[in-house]
Amino acid sequence: MQHYRNFCIIAHIDHGKSTLADRLLERTGRVSAREMTMNQILDDNPLEQERGITIKLHAIQMDYVSASGENFKLNLIDTPGHVDFSYEVSRSLSACEGALLVVDATQGVEAQTISNLFMALEQGLEIIPVINKIDLPSAVTTIDNVKKQVMDLLGCKEEDMIMASAKTGIGVDEILEAVIARIPAPKGDPKAPLRALIYDSIFDAYRGVVVNVRVFDGTLREKDKVLFMVTGQSYELDEVGVLYMQRKRTGILEAGNVGYFTAAIRKLQDTKVGDTVTLLNNPTDNPIAGFREVKPMVFSGIYPAESDDFEDLREALGKLTLNDSAISFEPESSNALGFGFRCGFLGLLHMEIVQERLEREFNQTIITTVPNVRYKVITTKNEVVWVDNPAQLPKTTMINEILEPYIRAQIIAPSEFVGTIMKLCMDRRGVMTGQTYLSADRVDLTFNMPLGEVVFDFYDKLKSSTRGYASLDYEYSDYEPGELVLMDILLNGEPVDALSSIVHRQKAHEWGKKLCIKLKELIPRQMFEVAIQASIGSKVVARESISAIRKNVLAKCYGGDISRKRKLIEKQKEGKKRMKQVGRVEIPQEAFHAVLSID
Amino acid sequence: MFGLYLHIPFCEKKCSYCDFYSIESTEHIHAFVRTLVQEIDLRSTSDIATSVFFGGGTPSLLSPADMATIISKLCNSYAIAEDAEWTMECNPGTVTLERLEAYRASGINRLSFGVQSFTASELMFLDRIHNADEADAAMSLARAAGFDNVNMDLMFAVPGQTMETLNYNLLRMLSLEPDHISAYSLIYEHGTPLYARLKKGLITPQNEEVDAEMYALVIATLTAAGYEQYEVSNFARTRKQCRHNLTYWHGDNYLALGPSAHGYIDNTRYWNHRSLSAWTSKVHEGVLPEANREALTPHEQLVELLFLTLRADGVPLAEFQSRFDIDLQSLLQPDLGHWFDAGFVIDNGITLRLTGEGYRVCDEITLKMIERVG
Repeated sequence: MQHYRNFCIIAHIDHGKSTLADRLLERTGRVSAREMTMNQILDDNPLEQERGITIKLHAIQMDYVSASGENFKLNLIDTPGHVDFSYEVSRSLSACEGALLVVDATQGVEAQTISNLFMALEQGLEIIPVINKIDLPSAVTTIDNVKKQVMDLLGCKEEDMIMASAKTGIGVDEILEAVIARIPAPKGDPKAPLRALIYDSIFDAYRGVVVNVRVFDGTLREKDKVLFMVTGQSYELDEVGVLYMQRKRTGILEAGNVGYFTAAIRKLQDTKVGDTVTLLNNPTDNPIAGFREVKPMVFSGIYPAESDDFEDLREALGKLTLNDSAISFEPESSNALGFGFRCGFLGLLHMEIVQERLEREFNQTIITTVPNVRYKVITTKNEVVWVDNPAQLPKTTMINEILEPYIRAQIIAPSEFVGTIMKLCMDRRGVMTGQTYLSADRVDLTFNMPLGEVVFDFYDKLKSSTRGYASLDYEYSDYEPGELVLMDILLNGEPVDALSSIVHRQKAHEWGKKLCIKLKELIPRQMFEVAIQASIGSKVVARESISAIRKNVLAKCYGGDISRKRKLIEKQKEGKKRMKQVGRVEIPQEAFHAVLSID
Repeated sequence: MFGLYLHIPFCEKKCSYCDFYSIESTEHIHAFVRTLVQEIDLRSTSDIATSVFFGGGTPSLLSPADMATIISKLCNSYAIAEDAEWTMECNPGTVTLERLEAYRASGINRLSFGVQSFTASELMFLDRIHNADEADAAMSLARAAGFDNVNMDLMFAVPGQTMETLNYNLLRMLSLEPDHISAYSLIYEHGTPLYARLKKGLITPQNEEVDAEMYALVIATLTAAGYEQYEVSNFARTRKQCRHNLTYWHGDNYLALGPSAHGYIDNTRYWNHRSLSAWTSKVHEGVLPEANREALTPHEQLVELLFLTLRADGVPLAEFQSRFDIDLQSLLQPDLGHWFDAGFVIDNGITLRLTGEGYRVCDEITLKMIERVG
């Protein structure tokens, strides 16, 4: 056990985490330079590579011979780099004894880095600060400031920090030596009752669920009968091993090590990240702390573009949950969109990823509605009703109070943007709760904000108004009452349920006006005039109209024109596929997202 | 039963808006006629032709002798109905009584004049080589030569045109009492000089609103004068509908000869080379001068029949049921009510037919219908 080291890398997007991981794998001979042609091995999902983010967790064991000639096994556990997955981050951190804190020498510390760092410190991890990208020419002017930020943050000395360039390989040896020297070896008793933490699980079409675990105490062997302490389910282990580039069967996994097992587990939902695995006939009485049920926070309707494809979509969502257990979905129906599903996601990024995977991996043509949060409605009879679809909000006369989820948002940005950020957050009903200067020109702001205000493009607005410099992190806090009202959109007098939203009363008029204008832009002219109205209850707060098409007919169609005309019609028909009809009005897919593009 | 189309690809001067294939040199006309006669030999059929249409280009550039040669070849090669419609397109500026009488004598019984306008500035814009008086004269000559079935083409939404000049054009055309009027909204066809000028911003097209108003004026004026609208752009006096053009719009067979001509036989469409020389050399080799052909799938046949009949005298409900096993009235149920209410469509039990208002948004209704039938 003295020769094991379990660690992870904490870094902001683009600060070089994946590149550093690649370099470590290369340096320890786990991957040859030839295999490195495909950069950034850890991110093996094409979406991850495109977005430069890690969605699912991975781990890789490396063999390392230290400068002193000793053999070590290093388990590098990767962590997802986005706020939506912070619970998963916390579980993978708790599988480690140490972390490399990677900070870009030209960018400095970002909000996400800080929140992950604090999580790591809470778990008692040893932190090795690494200043990356020191080879960039612009680092000359920024590096001293960045070093100071890191020293202030960690209370460390200058010599504790490793200067590196993952791209060129500078500092990689030093990092590996520091991992050996500074990160403590795992503690634990191989003879004690089994205590293993599930920090990730993936679905394999041939073996069912592959569970990734960190063994704290005891030993995991093939044929062992194990108990999952939260779900209460038990399984007999089929295969046990460690994680190289692929899974490597070892038959045994001892305390201190990180690896995987399979056990004919059919559904990902049967393994919960954070659960403790123990032996059925010799259980521990000390499950690993920190388990939390992951709950969806953001909801959106997902509908098949063609109503015949409803069953296909159900199947696709079912398959998707095989390797993403955080999605929830329930059938619902809408007057505008027909039959579809109300889906729950961990956050906005998670939602986008799911939508994209449905289209790319499962070839589904879908229409999605504007995301919303889950509201807690107290009725006049003092009952609690959870509402995750605005159209399902009880009648006003039945409502005593509506509560909405709040977040604690942390934003780090150059201080010149303080005014901009404060205005943006206050426009979104945010209340500032803290302001700390990390350095003379870098500020850390915290706000208490309704999540519902953040799900509408807040992150994009924050980025664009700070020229990309601000970074955001948030954690869910509590439900708080709000003066919220249901705003309906009517087209030619008919309410379109999929366009309903729950908004703050004081913002409702302006919101309704902007939404009507936006819809006017997005809904193409049709054979008939279209009246657009926004209403609260029976009161119309805004209206617009789209004039009818005056003339659309090809003047000539003789023998030589017919093929061309037929092909044009077929093409136009394809283009109209995503239009949905309510009454006699056809609504394009973008319209269901109109709220997202309002300034 | 089929229609027969012959494309005569010569013009004295090409019009800037026209995208039909033609060349401005007339020196190859005789060689062309000889080759056309050879193509007739390549395309035999035992079916009966009910219409023959000489289109162009400018068929009236053919001498009466050349025309007689072609016609006698056609009559020797095909079974042509006694009462067949024989149409020839003519430029109003190039006809004489003598020529018209000769065409009539060789069997032509319907003329189509590309009049377009009676307003000098509009004729100039369209590059027409005739003037308004020549259009008047052409009609007198046609009647004098014994033609009792004459069409005149009219164009609207021409840049610079006003409601007043359009109204003037309509009234002058009506005063000539043509049997049939084709009234087209100007199309900016890809590849024409007019299109190039539009793209360069040299001309300002009429906006949709004016185009729609002009179309409404055309429909109202012509229907009030006793012409029935039986297609988007076509109006006829009783029993003077163009039988040949109806073969296109009813999805019937038509055989086509000459460069660039499109034929449609038993659900297969073919089109000849769009080049006089390519067409000529193929025919001389003794092979069909086709650039390509496509066999329509049943669904493509359905789509074509739907949009073509909708443009014309109505979608035949029984034919959709028997040929495609489609009950249009029930498939279109969600929309028909809206269309009836808006006065776009009439259901007479036999066809779903557009009204004048409906023709105005014909392409919108077409697309919706196509969507509904899947």
